[in-house]
Amino acid sequence: MSSLEEGEQTPEIEAGETELEALLDDLIVDRDDHENAPAFVIRPDTVQETLGRLKEEAGYDHLSLVTAEEYPDRYESIYHLKKFDDPTDEVSIVVPTDAENPVSESAKPVFRTADWHEREAYDLIGIDYDDHPDLRRILLPETWQGHPMGRDYDQNRPQMVPLRDHANPLEDDHRADSDSDTMFVNIGPHHPATHGVLHLKTTLDGEQVVDVEPDIGYLHRNEEQMAQQSTYRYQIMPYPDRWDYISAGLLNEWAYARAAEDLADIEVPEYAQIIRTMGAELCRIAAHMLAVGTFALDIYGDFTAIFMYAIRDREKAQNILEDLTGQRLMFNYFRLGGVVWDLPEPREEFFEKVRTFVDEIPEALEEYHDLITGNEILQMRTVGTGVLPEDVAKNYGATGPVARGSGIDYDIRRDDPYGYYDELDWEVPVEDGCDNFSRLLVRMREVEESAKIIEQCVDLLEDWPEEERNIQANVPRTLRPDDDTEIYRTVEGAKGELGVYIRSDGTEKPGRFKIRSPCFSNLQTLPEMSNGEYIPDMIAALGSLDIVLGEVDR
Amino acid sequence: MILQSETPLPDTLSNLLGLDGFGVAGEFVAAFIAAFIVGNVMLAMTGVAGPWAKRKITAKFTDRIAANRIGPAGLGTIPADAVRLLAKELIVPEGADRPAWDVAPLIVAGSAMLGFAVIPMGSGIQLADPEVGLAYVFAVASIASLGMVMAGYASNNKYSMLGALRAVAQNLAYEIPLVITGISVVLFTGSLRLSEIVAAQQETLISLGGVAIPSWFAFVNPFAFVLFLTANVAEVGRNPFDIPEAPTEIVAGFQTEYSSVYFVLLYLGEFLHIFLGGAITAVLFLGGAAGPGPESIGFLWFVVKIWAFFLLTQWLRSAAPRLRIDQLIEIGWKGMLELSFLNLILTALIVGVVV
Repeated sequence: MSSLEEGEQTPEIEAGETELEALLDDLIVDRDDHENAPAFVIRPDTVQETLGRLKEEAGYDHLSLVTAEEYPDRYESIYHLKKFDDPTDEVSIVVPTDAENPVSESAKPVFRTADWHEREAYDLIGIDYDDHPDLRRILLPETWQGHPMGRDYDQNRPQMVPLRDHANPLEDDHRADSDSDTMFVNIGPHHPATHGVLHLKTTLDGEQVVDVEPDIGYLHRNEEQMAQQSTYRYQIMPYPDRWDYISAGLLNEWAYARAAEDLADIEVPEYAQIIRTMGAELCRIAAHMLAVGTFALDIYGDFTAIFMYAIRDREKAQNILEDLTGQRLMFNYFRLGGVVWDLPEPREEFFEKVRTFVDEIPEALEEYHDLITGNEILQMRTVGTGVLPEDVAKNYGATGPVARGSGIDYDIRRDDPYGYYDELDWEVPVEDGCDNFSRLLVRMREVEESAKIIEQCVDLLEDWPEEERNIQANVPRTLRPDDDTEIYRTVEGAKGELGVYIRSDGTEKPGRFKIRSPCFSNLQTLPEMSNGEYIPDMIAALGSLDIVLGEVDR
Repeated sequence: MILQSETPLPDTLSNLLGLDGFGVAGEFVAAFIAAFIVGNVMLAMTGVAGPWAKRKITAKFTDRIAANRIGPAGLGTIPADAVRLLAKELIVPEGADRPAWDVAPLIVAGSAMLGFAVIPMGSGIQLADPEVGLAYVFAVASIASLGMVMAGYASNNKYSMLGALRAVAQNLAYEIPLVITGISVVLFTGSLRLSEIVAAQQETLISLGGVAIPSWFAFVNPFAFVLFLTANVAEVGRNPFDIPEAPTEIVAGFQTEYSSVYFVLLYLGEFLHIFLGGAITAVLFLGGAAGPGPESIGFLWFVVKIWAFFLLTQWLRSAAPRLRIDQLIEIGWKGMLELSFLNLILTALIVGVVV
């Protein structure tokens, strides 16, 4: 399927490429095409101009990812651009910089989202982004020595950090002048509403938030490096489960599977695609149930009925996933070219279970609507608060329910189809309220759509002839994609556009493995939503973003 | 129908124990014993409510089971929790304003206990019946705000400080509608004496098919009842008005830094305030200790009524989202205050013209 579509699109892209070449004529130094997109090499001092032209004149309004890497002779930043209107229309801008003095122009003035992405590149690789206003470490502590994904980094050297250099962060409490009207509060890393180890450096003026700065990295494990040290075939697949660990495991696995399969030209059997689609949507329901439940928890304040109801219904999805994959949290169910095993026997019983679950969803959602969206106090709290206008959301690279709650009609499942989605009948829910309430509604409606998808998958699987139940394509025992091929592929995760960039170096392990985490980009929008609002609204906005720190920090 | 016992509990005790002859000393001893009994009954109820009933009720609302390991229906968890809480380390935050920090939990718990002194609980249980009973109850109950401010300010914690400020803002905004709605009841009774307020509710309002509906003020003036109930929930700081604590926003507000015994005191104080709120509601609007059956079981009816109020707060806890502080203040000053004055004026007109 995917190959068919690529075939259709090839002439279009080529037509676009000439236009792009004409547009960037004076800036292009070289070509370095990726599997998924044309890639233009430019000089490090023309980043802003190039990206600006592509954004303003060619309509590439979505900076999906910034990948950085150190080569023996140079540093390289890659800006992966897309269009919100058509995510299949991609272009990559490759910016090599000098190995001795890796200075590159910052893309932040053009794309706000580049802020954190470039900080991460600086933190892990060591590229210096010129005129970036706030180039500090983002994932690692400020006192960290060296850049762990750089070539000369010595992993065995202990990080000796004297106490005076790593003073108690709480000491910063008194950073404001004594006669200042504002108050500095550390919200987190241990706080009931931060959903994990997130630290919000918050400046308050009375009850109002003047400024909030998310401090992330408490859960950083450098999953990218772990993937780079593992083989494509089996060793990488367990890791994606640990990015967004809120039962969205299969969605994450699909992100890696899609990138690696397209890189190695593996065709997944249709039957396996349907199983994948069904499993992924079950994961989405489970993840959204938790998102709705914890969002209600943030608004309600105590362990309330709605939280337990959401957990109860999530549990049903979890049980089905357990039947399917054998695991409740870390599924490790996908394999390159298919899935690890077929549906559990007896199949009728499994289908029955799934059908019962899916049939109960509308009723359960009705109950939720009665309890939360129909509640006047909840509406008072969420309608018109945590506002994220459409253009701001795009500028920050917000995706998933956050973008769809801001009126951006963008869903990778439909716009850049994979799996079995384009064969099924479902809709992309979009709300244009741009507030906390819209994001809540989008999630609840998505659960309904996921239920529809699952039902159709079950119908298909039930009627699938027994002899054609092919769950796994033929994949060589050791995968060695061609040297120096690069690919960036995204899927629609529970939180948004989840992508994986792989550069192969001809070995059985990726040369560079880069994760595009939707939560990472979405979390950046928090100050936009909450500055000037009250503390409770900031908490609500944070809850409505539905971040998972495992995915933010990776 | 039950009428109030004429003699307060200390006098009854004094007669019973023959303390009459000892003058002031005898009165003191009798009063002390009576206060001891009432105080312990109330503390025992909070003891049941806090570690056990709260969990059980919430569990029912949320499809769970809750405490069931120790004793029948998990009731044994009460002493276990008490021992656990009392055995914990008392952590004093650095820079705490010491005397204030230590006194605050006592004030929060004590102010509620003081309120019970004048509540007629039926079956002859009432410590004192002063002429200004209602004013006294409102006065001592609002001392709790002072305790919260002390706790919040003395903790040297920003969350606590925010919680304390919220507590003051909230109590100011809701105390006034609460008292004014209370006054609308006084217009009917013409007395602030709580026993007289209860006595005024004993007549039959209307007889429906043989069932006599008593003239409880909840039936006479339901509008005032709803107003009072709302203001009361805000006054005791329960959902959807638990803004001074707001665990998901300011962690636990004024009580963030309290542990061990001090925490127990604050916790008890909160529950005592819920029960006091229930008691005031029962006295003003639900006929005090009145109920079917002989007068002697009046106290049981009274307990049922205050537990009903407790159940209401727990129901709200499971079902109602928390308001934002500015919305709360707005509802208080722009909504409740106006409505309570409207209610007062209408009641005054009706009482003046009709009665």
